[in-house]
Amino acid sequence: MEMFEKAFPSEPLKAKTSKPWALAGVVGSGNLEVLFERGSRPAGTMECRVETSIPGYKSSWLAALGDFARNYPVGGTKVTIHDQGAPPVLVSLRLRQAYDHLIKADR
Amino acid sequence: MSTPLFHEQNARQRIAAIIDAGSFDELLPPPERITSPYLAQLGIPVSFDDGLVIGRAKIDGKKVYLAAQVGQFVGGAVGEIHGAKLTGLFMAATRDRIPCIIIIESGGVRLHEGSTGEIAIAETMRAIFECRARKVPTIAVIGSDIGAYGGMGILSTCCDFRIMTEHGRLGISGPIVIEKWMGKKAYDSANRALVWKTSGGKTKYLLGDADLLVHDAASAVRDGIAKLLAKSRAVTLKAVKVRHKELADRLKRLGGTSAADELWKRLGIRDIEAASLASGPEFVAVAKGGKAGRL
Repeated sequence: MEMFEKAFPSEPLKAKTSKPWALAGVVGSGNLEVLFERGSRPAGTMECRVETSIPGYKSSWLAALGDFARNYPVGGTKVTIHDQGAPPVLVSLRLRQAYDHLIKADR
Repeated sequence: MSTPLFHEQNARQRIAAIIDAGSFDELLPPPERITSPYLAQLGIPVSFDDGLVIGRAKIDGKKVYLAAQVGQFVGGAVGEIHGAKLTGLFMAATRDRIPCIIIIESGGVRLHEGSTGEIAIAETMRAIFECRARKVPTIAVIGSDIGAYGGMGILSTCCDFRIMTEHGRLGISGPIVIEKWMGKKAYDSANRALVWKTSGGKTKYLLGDADLLVHDAASAVRDGIAKLLAKSRAVTLKAVKVRHKELADRLKRLGGTSAADELWKRLGIRDIEAASLASGPEFVAVAKGGKAGRL
């Protein structure tokens, strides 16, 4: 297991829905779950916490998360990830899915 | 995109698909992070909901308590938190006199957590019988490939009713376990036709272990639940004795069968091929056409 936390600068979340959280994915082999939470966090940063069963890939994680924070307006949110060996492309997909759930009506 | 089949959906999708739109109020939702204290020590990542989604909802305007297991997370296995959520849900159902439905997708107890899972199953069984003593309906839905095995198989049979799809499987020991003990000749766990013909929804319906056999669709599951919501079965000494007699008769009648097709034939299926291809209510019709004797 490896755990790390980091905050990334990001444009403030634009969506007006009041939904407080959204979840995407599941903790299974080669998969991960992503929880997005909005709250009273600094509007200009995305806080991240990653727990992964595969140690040694911190730089890849930080690159993927930093990328996401740059490309989407997710300031003021907290992202928590439970990972069980998901490939990087799936990490990006789940982040997008959770973001979509957060700003749209369905969960 | 077409609606996914019931067995293809995940726990949250299943709940959303069977309840009145937007009526789900999740208890202990992911942001509360009630996660397993044991898995982290073993280097296994935890899940926000510990593999069980629980809450309140409405079906056809009627209040229900609802639980759905996440089969992809450690096989839907029951750990301490997962089990405590399950027990608490049935206790709440008894307290509030509201029917309780559990959508099962589990191999049984989570071995990583030792006896805590076993104890949780026992406590949940107790909670289910409390529900039944107060005539609060309890319904188990088994409609995924993982099915209901081990402790969850036992637990499902404690409920008033079981709704199955042909994808669902119900048993105590899983196919691989049986093969390990009895040998590949006796039971080949890789033979899917054999596995489903012995523990699948259709066979369980013929045996009377499943009360309803429905299509592999959330709408069909929902309709099945709606039919059973107002019903309950009393647990009395007489009912238990009758059931014991039924099971003894079943063993006498079917104990000698060694092939799955033979089992179906003895249960009254005349046309095995037609029955194999039929699904849900069509299978029920085929079974009745052959005057299948439900035990």
